[in-house]
Amino acid sequence: MEALSSALDFSDFPRLDMIIAGVLGGLLVIFPATPHSAFAMATMIQFLMFSLYGMGWNTIGGYGGQVDLGKAQYVGIGAFTTAVLMVRWDVPFWVSMPIGVCFAVIWSFIIGYPLFRLKGHYFAIATIATSLVLKDIFEVWDFVGAACGIEISPIKYNPPDFLHLIFKEDIYYYYVILGFFFLGILYVNWFRKSRLGFQLRSIKDNEEVAKSLGINVHWAKIKTYAIATSFVSVVGSFHACYIKNIEPEDTMSLDISILIALMAMLGGAGSLWGPIIGAGVLIPLKSYLKEWLGARAGLIGIDLIVYGAIIMLVSAVEPRGIWGIVEKVRRRKRN
Amino acid sequence: MDILVSSLFAGLLIGMVLAMVALGLTIIFGVMEIVNFAHGEFLMVGMYTGLLTAQATGMEPLLTLPVAAAAGFLLGIICYFGFVKFVIRGPMVAQLLGTFGLMIFLRNLALLFFGAEDRAIHQGILVGKSFNIGMGVIAPATKLAAAALSVIAFWAVWLVINRTKIGKALTATSLNPQGARYMGISTERMNALAWGIGGGTVTIAGALLVNFWSVNPFMGLLFTMIAFAIVALGGFGSVSGAFFAGLAVGVITEIPGIWDFLTYIFNFGWMADVPMTSLKYMWVYLAYFVIMIVRPRGLFGWKR
Amino acid sequence: MGYCGEGAPEKAKLMALLEVHNLTKYFGGLKANEDISFSIKKEELVGLIGPNGAGKTTLFNCIAGLYPVSSGKIIFSGHDITALKDYEVARLGLARTFQVYVASGDMTVVENIMVGCFMRTRSRSQAKTRAEQIMKDFKLHDLSDYILSELPVASQKQVAIAAAVGTDPKMLLLDEVAAGLNPSEIEDIMATIQHIHYNMEITVMLIEHVMELVMKISDRVIVLDSGQKIADGNPETIARDPNVVKAYLGERYVHEHAGELT
Repeated sequence: MEALSSALDFSDFPRLDMIIAGVLGGLLVIFPATPHSAFAMATMIQFLMFSLYGMGWNTIGGYGGQVDLGKAQYVGIGAFTTAVLMVRWDVPFWVSMPIGVCFAVIWSFIIGYPLFRLKGHYFAIATIATSLVLKDIFEVWDFVGAACGIEISPIKYNPPDFLHLIFKEDIYYYYVILGFFFLGILYVNWFRKSRLGFQLRSIKDNEEVAKSLGINVHWAKIKTYAIATSFVSVVGSFHACYIKNIEPEDTMSLDISILIALMAMLGGAGSLWGPIIGAGVLIPLKSYLKEWLGARAGLIGIDLIVYGAIIMLVSAVEPRGIWGIVEKVRRRKRN
Repeated sequence: MDILVSSLFAGLLIGMVLAMVALGLTIIFGVMEIVNFAHGEFLMVGMYTGLLTAQATGMEPLLTLPVAAAAGFLLGIICYFGFVKFVIRGPMVAQLLGTFGLMIFLRNLALLFFGAEDRAIHQGILVGKSFNIGMGVIAPATKLAAAALSVIAFWAVWLVINRTKIGKALTATSLNPQGARYMGISTERMNALAWGIGGGTVTIAGALLVNFWSVNPFMGLLFTMIAFAIVALGGFGSVSGAFFAGLAVGVITEIPGIWDFLTYIFNFGWMADVPMTSLKYMWVYLAYFVIMIVRPRGLFGWKR
Repeated sequence: MGYCGEGAPEKAKLMALLEVHNLTKYFGGLKANEDISFSIKKEELVGLIGPNGAGKTTLFNCIAGLYPVSSGKIIFSGHDITALKDYEVARLGLARTFQVYVASGDMTVVENIMVGCFMRTRSRSQAKTRAEQIMKDFKLHDLSDYILSELPVASQKQVAIAAAVGTDPKMLLLDEVAAGLNPSEIEDIMATIQHIHYNMEITVMLIEHVMELVMKISDRVIVLDSGQKIADGNPETIARDPNVVKAYLGERYVHEHAGELT
């Protein structure tokens, strides 16, 4: 299958990159065996989750250039689908997760069709609007627990339960999400070299030229949006089983949407490694800022002040993100 | 019937103040095409300014407007020169996220300084008084005064934009920055001015709002989204559009009242169960979405 | 309406690939194209000239589906394409380039051409193979991995043409490809166009202001002025047509040089 070999083919990256990636990948695999605190483990799981969120966002936001600030609603769709199905009907994760993806894709087609008639700022604000609308609906919808959300009590199941993804120790969660993480990388690697990926990049470059080359721009955007939302929904489902206590305010808030977009932008939107680098910097930063500065001597909020300042700094100084800097340096060396 | 009329009236009143909130956003967008996600935070700053000035000096709250305006103007200018002017050079994702960073920054700065509790003004000559307009409508004096002052302020800004030289320069830059530069109008100065006026007007709205709406550091986002809806509905860049759209959105926020009225009329049991009050802002977001799809130019906008 | 597709091979070659019937395009009150009709046979190379503002690019945009026409009909390869959108027209085999476009992204030369090739195949390897073949033909192979926006304008134009050719079109509309090029670059572009036309057997229609280029390579020239078609014939006839001279140089010139013109 050409798609599979394309996904596994990283040959267009410089040797150095692949060696570093291999080493880091190896480190990720053996991480749980090294001495670490529970906090570090939790941070690593967050890192992997947000890398995936970022990678999903990156397909439409980075390669496609359509800045989507409403991804949180799909976290909610994934999370609540899994949670509701599990709590009410004992549906295993491996069944509810794909169902969540179906809902996410359906919803993305429904709102995607009108949404992609907009461009630029208007598009971005509209994505926020739709996300907030869905969040508000979930907050009053009793079926999904309204504002209180849903709680999955682990006592019902016998951990380690691989079917329902209920574990006592984080290490199991770590390896599950790590598996998804590697799969995600392969998928994005396939995507960026696929016909759709090329179409998206051409659209980002110049929409009229893309159309003159036979690309149905509207449809290409919608398809990619569906891919992005699927990524997010999968991780959302995982999130439900991991955190076991989800409410609309936490899972579907605008802050989550911003954070997802931020991963990709900080690391370098439009590149394979960008979101991972972004998550790798931002998640530990956020976690440790909160630990050290969080509630020091009643100074609530300092960690977020720093966080906000960092966002401002990056957008003003190097909006192409860390990977953008790397590529700039490389290009200069070549010329 | 009384419910309907008083809901509509209340909607119009609040709408006038909301229009004032949105005015700054539409001016900034008109001149620079940047969306300020921290707009609600500016409002919040205006509210705190009004509150604290009144409490510190014992002044009549409605007289704190000039102080709030000055603070907002300064805040806008500082934000422009300190940050915004660098961010507009970059791609859109950077601009959007940049002003988000500003939002988080200001929000938590406020949290740090003012704490998380709600605060409101409880002084002033108008507190506790209300007027009976007839038809069963009882309007609190503070809201009436706020709406009236809002209209006056709106009119003042409109005069500045359309009748003064500097206002015309601003309009010139928003229509055609390059052309305006050939006429000797510095885009940089106009950008800064737009942020100054944008900041100043929204803080005035804040100082008005705090008379009947309590302030806390987290309220910014809601008003930012409301302001977006108003600006989109009225047309990005249109001052008069912002006014009428503000009224419309104000009425939309009174949907719970209108829904009650309709429930009473139609008497369907299920209607009473719909939690309209919790959903009232959802209608604002939906309105934004629908308007953008159906008529992207808004009611009066000249910019797409 | 339409035409039958049978006939001897020679007759097939003579049949019209593109027919434009009474095309009119208004922008509000402004008549940009007025009642324009012409037909282009397979493997003709037709030039479209006229003073600035004559409506040439508008005509292209109408044919290519970027603008909806106000009235008239366009038939391409037997299909009525009047109402089709731009990407649908491209998929039928009518490709075009643009007069000006800003290459903003980070796509390399080969990637740009592959986008065009992807219109005909889903397979990446096939698209790449075809793109590499085109690069060889267009002598762009050395620039394969350079980012488009970093290249000089002349190369960018070559790549744009190459990408359009990647879609395997039957006909190509070129909009002022020679604009802003120095004489040696014009030579290169001319060679490219001739390669497309003769070796790849693609019908070409080009808008051009660089007269040496147009007159030299065109089989036929159509002239527009103020939205109307004022002449249609071979280059020599056109060059001496008083209407054409009048459009470019004014009425006085025509009177002063009446003796030289037919």
